[in-house]
Amino acid sequence: MKWLAIAAATIGLLLVPVLFGDRFVFVFIQMLTASLFALAFNLLWRHTRLLSFGHAAHFGAGMFATIHLMRLAEANVLAVPLPLIPLGGALAACLLGVVAGYFATVRTGTYFAMITLAVAELIYALGSQWEALFGGEAGLSSMRLPWAGWTFATTGEVYYIVLGWVVPAAAALYFVGLTPLGRLAFAIGDDETRVRFLGYNAHRAKTMVFALSAFHAGLAGGLLALVNENVNYGAFGGTVSASVVLHTFIGGSGVFLGPVIGAAGLTLLGALLSDVTRLWLLYVGAAFVLMMLYSPEGLAALFIANLRLWRELPWPSLVRLNLLGGLAVLAFVCTTVFVVELAARALTEGASATAVVLFGTTWSLSSPVTWAIPIALALAGHVALKAAIRQRRRLEDAVA
Amino acid sequence: MTSAVISLQGIAKCFGSLEVIRHLDLDVLEGERHALIGPNGAGKSTLVGMISGLIPLSAGAIFLNGRRIDGLAPERINRLGLGRSFQITRIFPRLSAQENLRIGVMARHGIRYSLFRPATAYSAVAREVEALLAKVRLDGRAGVVAGELSYSEQRALELGMALASEPKVLLLDEPTAGMSRDEADHVVDLIRTIAIGRTVLIVEHDMDVVFSLCDRVTVLAYGELIASGPAAEIRRNARVQEAYLGTEHVA
Repeated sequence: MKWLAIAAATIGLLLVPVLFGDRFVFVFIQMLTASLFALAFNLLWRHTRLLSFGHAAHFGAGMFATIHLMRLAEANVLAVPLPLIPLGGALAACLLGVVAGYFATVRTGTYFAMITLAVAELIYALGSQWEALFGGEAGLSSMRLPWAGWTFATTGEVYYIVLGWVVPAAAALYFVGLTPLGRLAFAIGDDETRVRFLGYNAHRAKTMVFALSAFHAGLAGGLLALVNENVNYGAFGGTVSASVVLHTFIGGSGVFLGPVIGAAGLTLLGALLSDVTRLWLLYVGAAFVLMMLYSPEGLAALFIANLRLWRELPWPSLVRLNLLGGLAVLAFVCTTVFVVELAARALTEGASATAVVLFGTTWSLSSPVTWAIPIALALAGHVALKAAIRQRRRLEDAVA
Repeated sequence: MTSAVISLQGIAKCFGSLEVIRHLDLDVLEGERHALIGPNGAGKSTLVGMISGLIPLSAGAIFLNGRRIDGLAPERINRLGLGRSFQITRIFPRLSAQENLRIGVMARHGIRYSLFRPATAYSAVAREVEALLAKVRLDGRAGVVAGELSYSEQRALELGMALASEPKVLLLDEPTAGMSRDEADHVVDLIRTIAIGRTVLIVEHDMDVVFSLCDRVTVLAYGELIASGPAAEIRRNARVQEAYLGTEHVA
């Protein structure tokens, strides 16, 4: 069953450029790189319990190193096949990871998070000043050179480079979790002092895990740079660091593939909805808050718990649970859309905004009814969700 | 003549103006089971922390087999042959009992930070982990996540982890804390087995455990050593009875 799923996913991923047009293939590339980035971030969090608020530093380092290498190749200084160039980005990020990780992992918890945040902000500030290295506001550009009969002119061809790196890199990250260092990282996340009294240098182990995480984050960045053929210092920005945190936690940090669900899912939704709303980040933020409030384990954990119930119980007994859960999600989605869109309109357009068209109806901004509806929806969602949680607990007790 | 395995020479610890340990000398001899007792706040846990490298000294020196160890990091002291357990259970709750011990055993086999094979692929480590599981009587619970073990099982696992690095010297900080009589008896039995061929320093509150298990006893009160000697002698010592045991307890 497991292998069947893996085979189906592999075939599906291989067929993407055949089945979809360029615009969508590009979305898939973004989904893949965001997934690898989130997996790299979660290597650090899930195992070692180190929460990095500045992982954009490594993602961006990978992007810039890749662009620089591409420019060198373009200037005939360097003869490296294009598909191998992102590896250079990964190595540069790894180097930065060794240095930043060495200092950051002296501390844990909040202090660690603050150091990573500071490092990323420092590089961001440098990015806007140091034109020679980061290209200023416009950033740096390059182009993909052909190699071995491949022109890499189409998004489809580049997609295969990305896929060819992301899948093995994800597998490598999974494997790391099984190795002595990976198990040690788990132990450090649980009790660092204990680890030291078993004869381990915990700081060294944490630095190594940090560097590995930075390597994969840099690879993800390098691949995106290869696709975009352009990068500017915004790659080091806070939104990049924040998005990987949101992706990981919405997807579920406790399960290996959880971050992939979050990163791929949110990237896809963002691309699909970019024509409909300009406020996508607000939606992601709202989803994060709701997730942390009601199901802090994330989507993957919810999915696994539900799957277990489906396996153990006859399906009619699960109808009620899934109906309640579905209703709650629907109510929360509607509430969020309502509040975000109406509030944004009211705030940006001020007094000139009088009515908004939403869900096929015109809503007056001054009418109390318009604002009462999201409140009622939120309450209904809350009640339905609480009922669903109660029902789930009952069913889980029945299974146990 | 038996030599001192742990030797504390004139050590002191101050937290601000508070003197927790006052100029203390103590030798723990090779092969003995040595108990450290004293009322709450006597400085027992501080002393264990100082020996194992967790708490820096304010003065004095600590020797392990003649080698000075104060100022070394805990992992260095561990590699010199000192293992310890903790008063509050310190295990890895997300890993299985087996994996908890594997972390301990791996270090001794020199595979600390390896990335090339799964941790389960080292057969010499696996064999030792199995033997260790049997030793602390957890062989039936190998695959259970440590966070889900019962309290006494967790304490047994804690002992197993202290043993995993095959230390010549074991520091046990209140191994029976919070246990029922039966559970404590079980752990005492366990300590008796694992103490063979080792030097053990035990901090313990339970006097029955102390006198049934240990050859020598050292009594601390307010950071000072008030008596140290064979268990039977300590039982009779008037100063100890007054300061700690309570006259009626021994009578």
